[in-house]
Amino acid sequence: MRPASLGGVALLICLGSAAAGAHSASDAYLTLDAVATGAPAERSASAERSAAADRSAAAPRSAARATGAAGAILVAHGQWDIALRDLDFVLKLDDDGDGRITWGELKRHQAQIARYAAPQLSFTGGVGDRCSVRVTRQEVDGHADGAYSALFFDVLCARRPAVLHMSYKLFFAIDPSHRGIFVLHAGDDVATAVLAPENATIKLPL
Amino acid sequence: MIAKRTMIDLRLTCRLVPLACLLALSGGLVRAGAAPVAAPGVAAPGVAAPGVEAPGVGAPDVAAPDPVRAPYTPTQDAEVLQQVPAVADPAVKAMRSLRAKFEASPQDLGAAIELANAYIDYSRQIGDAHYAGYAEAVIAPWRARPTPPASVLLTEATILQYRHQFSDARDLLQETLRLDPHNGQAWLTLATLDMVQGDYARVGKECAAVTNDADLDTGLACLGSLRAFTGHARQSLVLLNQAQAPGASAAYQAWVHGLLAESAERLGDWQLAEAEYRKALAMLPEDNFLLVAYADFLLDRGRAREVLPLLAGHEQSDTAFLRIALAQAQLGSPEVVRSTWIMAARFAALRQRGSEYFGREEARFALSLQHDSRGSLDLALRNWQLQKAPWDARVVLEAALAAHDPRRAAEVIDFVRETHLEDPIVVPLAKELRDELASATAAGHPAAAASRTATAASR
Repeated sequence: MRPASLGGVALLICLGSAAAGAHSASDAYLTLDAVATGAPAERSASAERSAAADRSAAAPRSAARATGAAGAILVAHGQWDIALRDLDFVLKLDDDGDGRITWGELKRHQAQIARYAAPQLSFTGGVGDRCSVRVTRQEVDGHADGAYSALFFDVLCARRPAVLHMSYKLFFAIDPSHRGIFVLHAGDDVATAVLAPENATIKLPL
Repeated sequence: MIAKRTMIDLRLTCRLVPLACLLALSGGLVRAGAAPVAAPGVAAPGVAAPGVEAPGVGAPDVAAPDPVRAPYTPTQDAEVLQQVPAVADPAVKAMRSLRAKFEASPQDLGAAIELANAYIDYSRQIGDAHYAGYAEAVIAPWRARPTPPASVLLTEATILQYRHQFSDARDLLQETLRLDPHNGQAWLTLATLDMVQGDYARVGKECAAVTNDADLDTGLACLGSLRAFTGHARQSLVLLNQAQAPGASAAYQAWVHGLLAESAERLGDWQLAEAEYRKALAMLPEDNFLLVAYADFLLDRGRAREVLPLLAGHEQSDTAFLRIALAQAQLGSPEVVRSTWIMAARFAALRQRGSEYFGREEARFALSLQHDSRGSLDLALRNWQLQKAPWDARVVLEAALAAHDPRRAAEVIDFVRETHLEDPIVVPLAKELRDELASATAAGHPAAAASRTATAASR
């Protein structure tokens, strides 16, 4: 920057006379599949894995797998795609600093990513009726602007809520222009929302 | 922008018209044939899962390319998933040290502004809006105060301008100058904003203030830049040459060389333009704006083959990626199908988040890669309401010509004439459309006659 003659403040120069065009900003993609009302039962790891696999292959969401962990009711399955670029800014995924995040580097940080992300998304079923988010596995998802870590998770509540409140605050503190692109599947209904600092808590009827 | 609705409203809409519910909130995504909507990252039946909706008009009828396949687990540890800024990059090092300084004293406004400006600069340099968001967060505590300091308003204005939120940026700049009337940076930013929006009458005064409140060289560069838009491109070259300051920072020198290249382009002096682009790039080899401007120059000269190596490694930038796709199209490369798909998905993602505006690039994309002249004209005209640089005029004129709809370009044709814009590409386009309009009117075409009346009335 060329130092200008005002108390050592450097001039920020907008190169060229015209503003440049499109720039990708920070987005995350959050999808929730509400689990239809069913009898809570013990949940096995294999059932969880196959349910997730079914979702990836877009099989019909099955009420038969609406099972919860002991003492908790499984309310929804989710997939949360978070950009590696964003995660690198807060968690430094690029261990060797060469400007390339490899699968090996990402794998080493997966537990850290889950610990960082899970508290950024919370659900409550009603007053004091807090639900928990449990990350079940992570994969890699490609989006048009780069690679994302896909966090698959379950939402577990102590009792089945009539209405679920979802609060989302991922990255807002470090980047208020971050947006969560949210899609809810509940039965045959599909609803979407854009989660932003001014629209961070929404009500999901299940 | 952000729909604050309860899901109850949505459920009704969604039950009736599944696609409409997504459209209602995400600002117009269209996917042909997917039922009912594909959630990001979750595949719809028979369709690979794109992170965003597949392109609408003109989308190639192919399976989703690799970058948008369903979630997977890589098999090789060495597989590279994502490029990020390397720690060895001097700009990254500088940002890290400024960040450390800021975190050590988070109440220090000076440290915050310095860090925010470094982020904004980097955002521009690599064409990645993430860093503009980081800058916004850094100044947020001061911005939230009842009376934010001028430096914070100015930094916020710069961020908004970068995001093409021109009207809000202007308000903040005016507020900055009310608090600090001799802020040279604020005058320069305002002058740049008015130049982009074609408000040339105000720019002269603002450049004079830059001369007084910043320094003479920067003021000359400001005036030189203005002259290139108002029919005095020769004078512009003289002023910009006077504005050169060999001892100045690389960013300043690159800025002036970039402006010289643009002025040379106004005059059709391609040799000079190329020499100036190269000088600018020698100063800032990785600068996204300069790379993209030079790529446009090469594309116009039919030198697409040189564009691909020039922009290699810059695919993350949407503006650079568009030029790569345009170059592939010019070369008849089969890669263009994949690039068109990705570009469409990136535009859809930008639209989906419901904020940034990107009409100029999208209009070019629609015309040149999706071959949708009417859609391109709509986008170009919306963009014209926001910004009026020569490229903004050009996208309207090219789309109007391709769509055989000269009357919709009437306002732009008038602007080119009234501002005496010199440009060996834009001016002939405007003339061709003006001739078409005139012959349509002579033939008694009612639409053309009505448009002329409307244009006259709006003046």
